[in-house]
Amino acid sequence: MARSTSKDAQALFQSLRSAYVATPSSLKIIDLYVCFAVFTAIIQVVYMAVVGSFPFNSFLSGVLSCVGTAVLAVCLRIQVNKENKEFKDLPPERAFADFVLCNLVLHLVIMNFLG
Amino acid sequence: MVKLCVLIAAVSLLPILCLSFSPDNPTDRRVLVLLDDLSLKSSHSIFFNSIKSRGFDVDFKLADDPKLSLQRYGQYLYDALILFSPSTDRFGGSLDLAGVLDFVDSGHDLILAADESASDLIRNIATECGVDFDEDSSAIVIDHKSYAVSETEGDHTLIVSDDFIQSDVILGSTKVEAPVLYKGIAHSVNAANSLVLKVLSASPSAYSANPSSKLSSPPLLSGSAISLVSVVQARNNARITITGSLDMFSNRLLRSGVQKAGDSNKYSKSGNEQFVTELSRWVFHERGHLKAVNLRHHKVGETDEPAIYRINDDLEFSVEIYEWSGKSWEPYVTNDVQVQFYMMSPYVLKTLSTDQKGLYHTSFKVPDVYGVFQFKVEYQRLGYTALSLSKQIPVRPFRHNEYERFIPTAFPYYGASFTTMAGFFIFSIVYLYNK
Amino acid sequence: MAAAAETSSDRTLRNAFGSVLSFFILLLIGVLAFSIRLFSVIKYESVIHEFDPYFNYRVTQFLTKNGIYDFWNWFDDRTWYPLGRVIGGTVYPGLTLTAGTLWRILNSLNIPLSVETVCVFTAPIFSAFASWATYLLTKEVKGAGAGLTAAVLLAMVPSYISRSVAGSYDNEAVAIFALIITFYLYIKTLNTGSLFYATLNAIAYFYMVCSWGGYTFIINLIPMHVLLCIVTGRYSSRLYIAYAPLVVLGTLLASLVPVVGFNAVLTSEHFASFLVFIIIHVVALVYYIKGILSAKMFKVAVTLVVSIGLVVCCAVIAVLIALVASSPTMGWSGRSLSLLDPTYASKYIPIIASVSEHQPPTWPSYFMDINVLAFLVPAGIIACFLPLSDASSFAILYIVTSVYFSGVMVRLMLVFAPAACIMSGIALSQAFDVFTRSIKFQLPGISGKSEFDAGDTSSSSVVAANDAAKPDKSEETLKERPSRKNKKKEKEQVEKASVEKASTKSKKEKRLLVLPLEASVIALLLLVFLGAFYVVHCVWAAAEAYSAPSIVLTSHSHDGLHVFDDFREAYAWLRHNTEVDDKVASWWDYGYQTTAMANRTVIVDNNTWNNTHIATVGTAMSSPEKAAWEIFNSLDVKYVLVVFGGLVGYPSDDINKFLWMVRIGGGVFPHIKEPDYLRDGQYRIDSQATPTMLNCLMYKLSYYRFVDVDGKGFDRVRQTEIGKKYIKLTHFEEVFTTHHWMVRIYKLKPPRNRIRGKTKKSKTKTSATSSSRKSVARKKNPWH
Repeated sequence: MARSTSKDAQALFQSLRSAYVATPSSLKIIDLYVCFAVFTAIIQVVYMAVVGSFPFNSFLSGVLSCVGTAVLAVCLRIQVNKENKEFKDLPPERAFADFVLCNLVLHLVIMNFLG
Repeated sequence: MVKLCVLIAAVSLLPILCLSFSPDNPTDRRVLVLLDDLSLKSSHSIFFNSIKSRGFDVDFKLADDPKLSLQRYGQYLYDALILFSPSTDRFGGSLDLAGVLDFVDSGHDLILAADESASDLIRNIATECGVDFDEDSSAIVIDHKSYAVSETEGDHTLIVSDDFIQSDVILGSTKVEAPVLYKGIAHSVNAANSLVLKVLSASPSAYSANPSSKLSSPPLLSGSAISLVSVVQARNNARITITGSLDMFSNRLLRSGVQKAGDSNKYSKSGNEQFVTELSRWVFHERGHLKAVNLRHHKVGETDEPAIYRINDDLEFSVEIYEWSGKSWEPYVTNDVQVQFYMMSPYVLKTLSTDQKGLYHTSFKVPDVYGVFQFKVEYQRLGYTALSLSKQIPVRPFRHNEYERFIPTAFPYYGASFTTMAGFFIFSIVYLYNK
Repeated sequence: MAAAAETSSDRTLRNAFGSVLSFFILLLIGVLAFSIRLFSVIKYESVIHEFDPYFNYRVTQFLTKNGIYDFWNWFDDRTWYPLGRVIGGTVYPGLTLTAGTLWRILNSLNIPLSVETVCVFTAPIFSAFASWATYLLTKEVKGAGAGLTAAVLLAMVPSYISRSVAGSYDNEAVAIFALIITFYLYIKTLNTGSLFYATLNAIAYFYMVCSWGGYTFIINLIPMHVLLCIVTGRYSSRLYIAYAPLVVLGTLLASLVPVVGFNAVLTSEHFASFLVFIIIHVVALVYYIKGILSAKMFKVAVTLVVSIGLVVCCAVIAVLIALVASSPTMGWSGRSLSLLDPTYASKYIPIIASVSEHQPPTWPSYFMDINVLAFLVPAGIIACFLPLSDASSFAILYIVTSVYFSGVMVRLMLVFAPAACIMSGIALSQAFDVFTRSIKFQLPGISGKSEFDAGDTSSSSVVAANDAAKPDKSEETLKERPSRKNKKKEKEQVEKASVEKASTKSKKEKRLLVLPLEASVIALLLLVFLGAFYVVHCVWAAAEAYSAPSIVLTSHSHDGLHVFDDFREAYAWLRHNTEVDDKVASWWDYGYQTTAMANRTVIVDNNTWNNTHIATVGTAMSSPEKAAWEIFNSLDVKYVLVVFGGLVGYPSDDINKFLWMVRIGGGVFPHIKEPDYLRDGQYRIDSQATPTMLNCLMYKLSYYRFVDVDGKGFDRVRQTEIGKKYIKLTHFEEVFTTHHWMVRIYKLKPPRNRIRGKTKKSKTKTSATSSSRKSVARKKNPWH
């Protein structure tokens, strides 16, 4: 039973990998960016767990800036992904422009809230 | 020509009138003495002369003088009142119980002496001031153990007492050696009344009763509960002396020698003269009158008084206290004046340090609580005027830019935010130029 | 094809005509919304109403005088003496910043309006904006016709008028506008999937957080809607784009506002948004993986994840629940708890229960406040189901939740009003649609055009056609695709169909319902009549019911109009006859007005943040004179202000509020017990009142010398004669009573100079003057 599940798991991972390799490189860049942001967020959470949450606003702004960039990048990925039927009329330049605007607002707020 | 001289004399008298009782010069100047009959002027002349010799203008009037009035056109004509008229039922002129009480309530002093013929009016004045004479109108103080020894066998109504209050301010720095002779009625003082003090109490063996009739029930007043001479310092620092013996001020008792029964000490002169003179000095504000001026506070390093402080500021506080010596203001030197920084309860309580010249100062840190605080100086000591000063000052919390600019523990968060921004920048370049 | 070109040019002409018409209609709606709120200015004067607006007005004055940095850091030492209040951190700055900006812009254009004028007219201006926002929102849900109808309904709905008349300078004036705009931008993002609108949505949400504490409604409603969409199988990537950036940016922006601060991440009111944030990420991941894997592999993945993930999930949720349950209120604030459990406030927090706005509404108030819309709302809900789209499901959720909350607190009828207007607008517009189409199809000569006019909605009254054709068409298809269950499309209002779609559409058109001509004409007339009834009621409500400034009262009697301006008289007296630093104690209702108009320091005011302080004042009012004097003296109070309505019949006076003072005081100081003031459970002030009641400070200060007015002391509000008629005040003295005895001001007597001895005063026989004075006084005042 366990062996079948492990075999299934392996087969699952293989198919996941093969499907992922097929994605276009621009999307892979976005995915890399998202991973970077999430990784930074996790480091900050670990740091907070160690040191304590004293300047809570700095902690919040740091973590939320990472989470925010991850979310916005995912939104960009959704809009730019050619397989997504809903957005096939959206020019990718428009999507990127919206993405830049949203990030600008995010970083402005982060700078204000940081301390 | 004569008219001109009179005019000039009248005009020059005006400043003298202005020299009367004022906050800058608190000693009374004009004293009104009300008497039952004018023979008291001579029978109590030593006392009156001692007052006159200190520079007072003493005005003698009969208690039922129809032209009697304490004030004219809203101004008081006298600064102090001595009521040596125990049997008067009704004052003459426009004076009455309410008038006497208003006189006291406007800050003027009073010496009231009663004796066994005390009328209801005098008793009511005393009650309004906080002193209760014995309700039995025929009772006088009798002491079978502490009476004055004399040639004739008396009924022990002339008693001696040396149970003085321990206060240098009221009774002077010199101790009264000889006991005081007393003949009159007893009064009691409510222990809960914080404004009244017993200056001379009777000995434990005294009691208040009618000397010529047998006692049917135990006397209401007895022992040390009987007060012979009491003083009242009202909240506006008016001073009142109340005693049940007019004879205590008389020349006869002032000059006579005294020996307490059962005591071998024989004094050639009773302590009455020193006692009443020192007491009158205190009542007329020649001693023990304080003023506190110039309550100032400022931040350390500045001189102006700010309108608002911030929490955790350092500030300095100073106040000047002077004592009236009878002629001028002298610095008051003591080491127990305290200041409170008060908001519903004292957050800071510090003893002020003095520079021996009347300036008291201290410095402390504003507490970590914001709100509307008060600097409070409360100084109440036996015999001295009560000082109660307060100054309101708000204390605000930190402004948004008064916190630490960069907190060291937060550097990782700053770093993370900036790396995110840099990452965004790099990502957009890479993404845009990716083929 | 010539015919096609002709029809397309006709169509563009009609579209152009329609958009111009709708622009002018919107302009008129704005003017209507503004002018219907001007009744109080015309009937009384341009004055700020009620209590809370005075505080906002004072804050705005400070802002315009001192600038934004001082306002941000303002520590107010003239209220809640001696605790003070940090205004910067405890006030919602949206309203004051808006009015301040407006004033500054006007002044820089050299239009010298005073701050008071700007404050008074802020609410009508923003109600015009709110109706335009309703148009936009309803257009996203159903279409332009519904949008215009909803806008006109919102411009006039009495519930909204009650809180936004000219002079009602309170948070709701701008908050409702912010609410509707935030919803509109959310729906727009949901419909278009554009990140640009998501950014605007976050900014609008920020404006809402700045303005009103009711922003928690948004941050709970939107996650609920997202959850609903996920659960009903309507998940799409547009949903993710609409929701996830809002949560991140919105939380950040909400934390920026000082009064919210860290509550944006720490209180239970926001946990729903975080929970749904996590859920939507899980769902997105699932869909993504489903998209890139084959079906068999997907099943394997599901079993694997479910087995492992479930354990992890349960652990996390258990930790979270333990954390939340450890706090006594489970992380909710008192006001939110009283919303969820309507009986909570009366049991635990008497202050919240005592505010009249927090009571549940009565049934007639629904008809008074939304009138005809109460009948149209259910029709609108049904119309939203046909077809069900994301936007209409949101509208349905909005109306359901707001109906519940409006039933808990009368103040939240205000949040219910826009939802009701949207629903009614949809219903009315659909009904008009059906009837006019029936008439049009049955009138001769027009039925031939049915094929080409398939998409037109040419009703006689209101029409609106969107400008852009292509994005609308894609919008339509996008909206309809997820609703697989809807077969019936009769009543659907299709915006514009291009020629190639006309054929498919016309097939559907043939199944449209067409009512008989007479029935539709009569029905149309009835609908117009219904609308007229609504308009008449709204104008009447605005003019009579909701325009009272409550600082000036009027009454009509046989000899004309009486104006009671007692409040301002009393505040002016205080301003001119007392020292600047004197402290005034009164019940908390009048705190804001006293600081704003009389400019004196008060002990407690309407902010009611410190229950102990209010309880201290309440205890003092309920105690006998000496104890009350002690309490007030410890707070450095100089003057006491009471409001008394017994002479003129003003029912909201302090004697009627007195039991709340007892309850609140007794909640903190147990020696004040409410049964001591009631006789047999009844609250009385006549001769049957309890001695505690007859000796308390409030009774004495209200009825001092009242018997001198008519000899009997008849209280017109309580409709009885008072119990204790001859009152002697020992520790207070009366310094001012206004013209109609409505406000009475007393001063604390300083402590007595001498303390009396214990002997009773004896009357001397010969002191004639004093005794005669006393005996004459005794004849008049038999002291109890």
